[in-house]
Amino acid sequence: MADVVQVAPADDPVRPLFSPAGELTAEARATLGLSPDALRDLYHKMVWIRRTDQEALNLQRQGELGLWGPYQGQEAIHVGTVAALRETDWIFPSYREFGMGMCRGIDPAEMLKLFRGVSHGPWDPRTYHFAPLVIPVASQVPHGVGFAMGSRFKHSDDVVLSTFGDGATSKGDWHEAMNFAGVFQAPVIFLCQNNHWAISVPLAKQTAGSIAERAQGYGFPGIRIDGNDVLGIFAAIRTAAERARRGGGPYLIEAMTYRMGPHTTSDDPTRYRTNVELERWSAKDPIPRFRQWLEGQGLLDEAALAAINREVEAKVETMRNRLRATTAPAPGEAIFGRVYQHPSDSFLEEREEFESSLESN
Amino acid sequence: MADQTFRLPDLGEGLTEAQLVAWRVEEGARVEINAPLCDVETAKAVVVIPSPYAGTIHKLHARPGESVAVGAPLVTIAAQETPTTVEPEDPAPRTLVGYGPGAPEAGVRRRARVAPVATGEPGADVRAAPFVRQLAKEKGVDLARVTGTGPGGRITKADVEAATSAPAATSAPAATPATPATNGERRISVVGIRKAIARQMVRSVSTIPQFTEFAIFDASALMAAREKQKAGGRSLTPLPYFIQAMVKAVRAYPLMNSSWDESRDEIVVKQPINVGIAVNTSQGLLVPVLRGADQLDLHEIADRGAKLIEGARAGTLGPGEMSGGTITVTNVGASGPVETGTPIISPPECCVVAFGAIKPRPMVVDGQVVARPGAWISISVDHRIVDGALATEFLTALVAELEKVSA
Repeated sequence: MADVVQVAPADDPVRPLFSPAGELTAEARATLGLSPDALRDLYHKMVWIRRTDQEALNLQRQGELGLWGPYQGQEAIHVGTVAALRETDWIFPSYREFGMGMCRGIDPAEMLKLFRGVSHGPWDPRTYHFAPLVIPVASQVPHGVGFAMGSRFKHSDDVVLSTFGDGATSKGDWHEAMNFAGVFQAPVIFLCQNNHWAISVPLAKQTAGSIAERAQGYGFPGIRIDGNDVLGIFAAIRTAAERARRGGGPYLIEAMTYRMGPHTTSDDPTRYRTNVELERWSAKDPIPRFRQWLEGQGLLDEAALAAINREVEAKVETMRNRLRATTAPAPGEAIFGRVYQHPSDSFLEEREEFESSLESN
Repeated sequence: MADQTFRLPDLGEGLTEAQLVAWRVEEGARVEINAPLCDVETAKAVVVIPSPYAGTIHKLHARPGESVAVGAPLVTIAAQETPTTVEPEDPAPRTLVGYGPGAPEAGVRRRARVAPVATGEPGADVRAAPFVRQLAKEKGVDLARVTGTGPGGRITKADVEAATSAPAATSAPAATPATPATNGERRISVVGIRKAIARQMVRSVSTIPQFTEFAIFDASALMAAREKQKAGGRSLTPLPYFIQAMVKAVRAYPLMNSSWDESRDEIVVKQPINVGIAVNTSQGLLVPVLRGADQLDLHEIADRGAKLIEGARAGTLGPGEMSGGTITVTNVGASGPVETGTPIISPPECCVVAFGAIKPRPMVVDGQVVARPGAWISISVDHRIVDGALATEFLTALVAELEKVSA
């Protein structure tokens, strides 16, 4: 006789905060416990990372960056997520979470070295608890799960957040990671940024069912929420992280959002999607939406907005100037420099041979 | 102040050239950092290049339609002092990602040979991608004799081709607006508006099942109304009357002002009515958009329509004034013997209306053949949205509106 299949994980403190449509309830919104300064800071950061995104796009067009992957439209997720976690919780990003890195305190001019092709890893992940940006789709998901399992084995209460796009959920790595997380009750939050497009493949041509509900099959809860509401993201991540911290295990959050720009600077989205769709999502743009809410609460006025814009422009200009002054490391150092802590003799010989071949030419 | 030359960067991971579509600045103009300089089209996308410098445009190095090699000069800007540069000015040549510092100088950054290369191997000492080497082999071109114009002196496909067509040539410029003639053929590079029209028309014909219906209307009332306006000191073309009648007929048949939303299996009925007006210009067909035509009276339609047409011909309209149309009108009978045609829908619209010239025609009135002013109308509609019966009702309503014009 077959065992009874349990479909509904018992412990789900996130779901009561949201309506069935994935909107944060008014009651939950009123009891977040965020000070006016903290709320304004969320807005400030969203404006800052968007403006930085635009500047990076300009810098790519000016030949200063080799490539750029814009995240316009997904700022609520970037900012809300980092604000909801502790500084010591780890984040395992994909390639589009530049804004999350900024919110973690990494200098954007330093981070851009990756996109300029002059550094393999411009920051120390252990300083910022922010893993390297990764290009291979879904590879960061098993990394995050493994790290979370390690955290549990060390009896640490640090949790891990692994974030990925809708396209990544079609990958085998994703399944393996989800399964391991469920089996080992790893303290990990899976954050799917469902931006509706896996490069040029629309969600409907890639995923037949619900992403959020798949969590049940791995033995933990999942929920689909509005990804363009910074406070909804904040509430969901914080609650899921607290649950993981006290040993509750993994949680899957599917945040519905939209990539308003191209996949990368090598992509032309007008070839595969309509303006109608873009307009529909522009109406849900997370930044004007949150600004209106703040204004409605009396937390933001013209003077405060102007001050934020001034500060952001100054930061962006500094980033631009610093980036343009960045030079490439010597080829020998770039290729051989950070491979071994204690390089072997044969490795050093190879480096010398390489470097002398450059001189002789 | 020193001139700074901005070279075309590799805009999309491994591109070798881009086509200049249009300049957005003129020589002598002042630009700020990030102000749009020009539109270029690469093999991957059309992109706007923002200015990396603030200053005065000293020289534009390419003309629209020309192909510009990655690393070739695009624009020279006489820079003013940068107000708040953090770093001291760098005397070293500016590094551009993807192809090293400034002007490629042969021998500055040679590729390192870690393993010894067999001597005597053809092309061993030149820089060229494998497919270029293959091409050279096929064409019998000795790469050692070709000067590379690519990044860092690399030999490109265009260099090999140039070497084939002119065996004695040292290095023919790779960038020309069109390929040289052979056998009397001429090749015209397709850029800008021509390309946009082509793309839009292919999209229309390959995605919209469209059919066309024709009618002739009696323009007696319309001509009388124009006479009346003239007597009141106002001279109107037939176009505002056409647009006004169209708007009225659309109000009765709102589906004609809609879009097919493939992604959601929905028909989006548009509000307000934004009328695209097809205008023949020296650059090609442009369609400025008369917004909110349903909120305008006849004179407003006439004034704003005329302004848009003028702007389209002068090339002074912004992209905002040429997008967002919900239905289009075109005039096929402006000159010559042509009576009507089968217009092609401008996606994502549902309907396009073509008017012919008003001229005296034999018409049967009360059993007698009489000469009256009349014109052809044809409409093409999206059959996914509108069936023949509804199209006929709309066309009937349109004719009725035109025949009862009074003002």
